[in-house]
Amino acid sequence: MTTSQHSDQIILQVCDLKKHFPVRSGFLQRITGSVKAVNGVGFDIQEGQTLGLVGESGCGKSTVARMIMRLLNPDSGKIIFRGQDIGCLPEKEMKPFRKQMQIIFQDPYGSLNPRMTVGQSIEEGLRISGMSRGLQRSDRLAALLEMVGMAPESSDRYPHEFSGGQRQRIGIARALSVEPDLIICDEPISALDVSIQAQVINLLKDLQDRLGLSYLFISHDLNVVGYLCNQVAVMFQGTIVELAPAEELYANPSHPYTQTLLAAIPDVDLEKTPTSPPIEDNERPAAPLPPGCAFQNQCSKSDEHCRQEEMPMIKVGSDHFVRCWKSE
Amino acid sequence: MTDTQILLSIEDLKVYFRGADGRASKAVDGVSYDIRREETVCLVGESGCGKTVSALSVLGLIPQPPGEIVSGRILFDGRDLLPLNDEEMQRIRGNRVAMVFQEPLTSLNPVFKIGEQIAESIRIHRKIDEDSLRQRCIQLLTDVGIPSAEERLNAYPHQLSGGQRQRVMIAMALSCDPELVIADEPTTALDVTVQAQILTLFKVLQRKHNMAVLYITHDLGVVSAVADRVYVMYAGIIVEQGQTIQIFREPQHPYTRGLLASLPTRSKRGQRLYSIAGSVPDPAHKPVGCPFHPRCPHAVPTCHERFPDMCNYGKGHLARCPVLYANRNEAA
Repeated sequence: MTTSQHSDQIILQVCDLKKHFPVRSGFLQRITGSVKAVNGVGFDIQEGQTLGLVGESGCGKSTVARMIMRLLNPDSGKIIFRGQDIGCLPEKEMKPFRKQMQIIFQDPYGSLNPRMTVGQSIEEGLRISGMSRGLQRSDRLAALLEMVGMAPESSDRYPHEFSGGQRQRIGIARALSVEPDLIICDEPISALDVSIQAQVINLLKDLQDRLGLSYLFISHDLNVVGYLCNQVAVMFQGTIVELAPAEELYANPSHPYTQTLLAAIPDVDLEKTPTSPPIEDNERPAAPLPPGCAFQNQCSKSDEHCRQEEMPMIKVGSDHFVRCWKSE
Repeated sequence: MTDTQILLSIEDLKVYFRGADGRASKAVDGVSYDIRREETVCLVGESGCGKTVSALSVLGLIPQPPGEIVSGRILFDGRDLLPLNDEEMQRIRGNRVAMVFQEPLTSLNPVFKIGEQIAESIRIHRKIDEDSLRQRCIQLLTDVGIPSAEERLNAYPHQLSGGQRQRVMIAMALSCDPELVIADEPTTALDVTVQAQILTLFKVLQRKHNMAVLYITHDLGVVSAVADRVYVMYAGIIVEQGQTIQIFREPQHPYTRGLLASLPTRSKRGQRLYSIAGSVPDPAHKPVGCPFHPRCPHAVPTCHERFPDMCNYGKGHLARCPVLYANRNEAA
């Protein structure tokens, strides 16, 4: 698997994306501060490849997904899809791009309308984009269901008649209906049973091979990301702290946060010597970020430098970037 | 088994839930397991396999109706808990057996300060004056790694993070020095780094208080990190049991093998993941014979008819699959 390719093969480029949410308080609900949910995120996704975006809850990874889909408008930054900046396109001009980018959500229960049959849910996208009509549309529906491993008869049934794994397949069929090139998968397997997760991962891989899809795979699970992704971006408190090809990241994690994350994954091969993290509670307070590095309070290597200056991404290897003063 | 070290022994427990149509949903259908003193045992299985129901039965927390304990015995320190009345059960619950739930936000009362919530269970079970009660609460919060414990006593649950709330839940569980703690998915709602801290905290406290811990989880990663012994549940029965290393290195039941093979890991990069076909059966419509047979690659006609027996692989390693057991013996 090669990761360094020519820039004309980049399907999606995100540059310095920012989203700050206002915090209101007091009787008049005045704006008293802001939460820097996404604070300068940038990465590239190559055609036909998978970029994993990992981080813990609240780090801003879903906000990034929503901004790329333009379900949220970014405060600043660029979202370049195949050469065109879609970050501030008006809704009307955004429409052709909506066909090319689709999203699969985490919760297969909440993301399907319970009052619409499976067929109606999947057809909605076809109808809105005017892609096919009448008989052609029902053929397309059957083909989509088959593609995700479900019987065509399922189209007349309602979401509650299906299990979580089946619903996630329906969500995938719905995303595929408009023939997208990029699919954003926002924690697509974390709500599923263990024995079903592998089915969905295999399905996503098969579809990528068959249709040449590119994925932005958002997850908190480093095992899945290590298995599935070509590139991995590690996110912490609204910024990307490390970006590298998957094999490189797991072999040489350079940011202290990445190292902490990797040490925390339980090892089912029973080969890793278990490390003992501190049992003291060292969770970050929800307070505004201190100046300098966001990880300074949890980092054993941090010093005065880290507390004063915000660091840029530094190149530490070919395609390997880290946001840490201490990485050599 | 006549082992004086056994603290909790569940024998052939059957818990059914009756639906509106009168049909019994066999949530737990003949489950037996033991936990020795100071041991860490994991009950692992997917949602709906009956792992939580079997643990709630120990504490007498199954609502009846619709629940019904059809048969079985739950021996805690040699005494059957099922015939006990509410008052007798109360003396054990929270005192000698305590529970930590999955979702710390919903299991803490939002309108009481955490200090009061920890004190509550101590007041119920111990005669203690207010001063030493307060000291005890501070000590408990310090033990579970909450900094500036004295101030934190006055915090409300919403002022704490998820990890801190789970620490408070653990402090409450430990408040009366229980011999057994049942932890139902204690880290599922937490981030991985916090999960690692909480699991280590459990280990330290377990050693300090000489407790046994029964973990209920669906996460094989957690199992590999904490368990001495493992029971694998599927559709209301135990399909395999053994020491952690036996289960992970030499799984004998097709379900356990399938689960382990289907875990995505970096070492499997580029290979296709094994996946178990089909999905977990509805507890009200379980297959006859071996409940796993519709999804099993090794199923033979007898699996559709006969309920499988446990087969003994030695050293406490048992698996409920006579087909693979016979194959192995033929090969040997």
